[in-house]
Amino acid sequence: VYQVFESVAKKYDVMNDSMTLGIHRVWKDILVHKMNPSPGTLLLDVAGGTGDIAFRFINYVRASRERQLQRKLRHHQNLSWQEISESYQEDKSNSLGDSQVVVCDINKEMLKVGKQKAQHLGYSAGLSWVLGNAEELPFDDDKFDVYTIAFGIRNVTRIDLALQEAYRVLKPGGRFLCLEFSHVSNPLLSRLYDLYSFQVIPVLGEVIAGDWKSYQYLVESIRRFPPQEEFKAMIEDAGFFKVDYQNLNFGIVAIHSGFKL
Amino acid sequence: SVLRFPLSPPQRPLHASVVLRRTSDERQKEPGAASSQFDSGPGPLPEQESRGPHPSYTGQGGQESEDFESEEQLQHRILTAALEFVPEHGWTAEAIAEGAKTLGLSSAAAGMFHSDGSELILHFVSQCNTKLSEMLEQEQKLVQLGEAEKKPMDQFLRDAVEARLRMLIPYIEKWPQALSILLLPHNIPSSLNLLTSMIDDIWHYAGDQSTDFNWYTRRAVLTGVYNTTELVMLQDSSPDFEDTWRFLENRVADVMNMGSTANQVQSTGEALVQGLMGAAVTIKNLAGMNQRR
Repeated sequence: VYQVFESVAKKYDVMNDSMTLGIHRVWKDILVHKMNPSPGTLLLDVAGGTGDIAFRFINYVRASRERQLQRKLRHHQNLSWQEISESYQEDKSNSLGDSQVVVCDINKEMLKVGKQKAQHLGYSAGLSWVLGNAEELPFDDDKFDVYTIAFGIRNVTRIDLALQEAYRVLKPGGRFLCLEFSHVSNPLLSRLYDLYSFQVIPVLGEVIAGDWKSYQYLVESIRRFPPQEEFKAMIEDAGFFKVDYQNLNFGIVAIHSGFKL
Repeated sequence: SVLRFPLSPPQRPLHASVVLRRTSDERQKEPGAASSQFDSGPGPLPEQESRGPHPSYTGQGGQESEDFESEEQLQHRILTAALEFVPEHGWTAEAIAEGAKTLGLSSAAAGMFHSDGSELILHFVSQCNTKLSEMLEQEQKLVQLGEAEKKPMDQFLRDAVEARLRMLIPYIEKWPQALSILLLPHNIPSSLNLLTSMIDDIWHYAGDQSTDFNWYTRRAVLTGVYNTTELVMLQDSSPDFEDTWRFLENRVADVMNMGSTANQVQSTGEALVQGLMGAAVTIKNLAGMNQRR
């Protein structure tokens, strides 16, 4: 698995766009929207390599924070000049409202690409990059408000261990969110999807990234991943409550959510 | 039955989760004394249960009773805690997040609820209705024990509606927002249910002093009084809402008059019919048809 991602790292984003025809961006947007993070949230994004979820999180929280500050200002009429200038300063220094995201990935190459992207796009505050294994996270217990893993969990050898680690590092009340390829129940769509996966994707892999084998692996790992209900049961086994899933695009992708209560 | 849970240290939710799994395995025990069921209206949380029947509260005395808590109860606690933040944040997911934080939970716990704040509002309405029922129950007990006078019907109705509306006062600024959310299609069944059961409750405690109304009419009439008074209250800026209570007084008086008008109509009707009968008999006499030879 490690070598797959080493070779895949640089072209990861391009491949994502071409394989899913850009829809993966929508899926990730939906994930962050579902999270609805409030300013001050501490997010751990596992297997988050190139930072897609992390950047979206930062954007969301920033916008949310701006709205919050606007509402506060509207409520406080008759401020003195001193108070107004103080609020602007607070604005500048705390545009994220103390929210933070830690991106954790097992693969150095993916993290490198992610850091470069962050620099390029201008993301700096509230972002950290940590090398780590989902089955054995280098973090203390009860640390994070939200744990996300987008298109990463199917690559983990011991999914149950990853789920247990997720449970461990989340604060009480914290939320587990997983965005992953899942099973399509509609038979017609399923056949089309299979056709696309096995015939088109490896070809794209060869053409764009020069790597047929990795993308063959990718498609097979998607097929091997447990279906929605089974994965939900696994999440419950790890100790999460109110576990639920939402199918996107008829089950091509599903978002599973659970709470540590 | 009022929600009353001991304040828990931050460790408790973890403990509760361990214990929740045990309770879901032993589903046969009966719910204990301090359950969180509301008597008026349905549970305000139309959540889909992902694991079959709700793990129920099994507060049997002795062993581990006090710390048991189900998901639903935890949700109620979060919503109750969130009410404190409504004046500042409105009926929103943010208020719920702040509420969760005061219980030692992460703000992400607000993700358990709908993002438009529906459940928070329904929870609040349900709580108010429960409080009202308890108040009326208390009053009734006092009257039965002879410690208080039984109120005349109009006074009773006025006091009950006023008491219920006064519960809105701390949240009055954000209440219009709440009303508009309650009118959303997916909330209407629950909100309507809560409203009608509250009105029914009031009539129940008003006793069966005959007013010649049938059940539907009484319900509709009092609902109308309640709704219009609520709307007036939202725009009232008089000290302690005097104008609203005066409006309420007039509406209740209308209700009482309506009763007597119906009486009058009925007795007028009877008188009319008798008059007609009398006229018919007179005509028959004149025409000589009533003679019996």
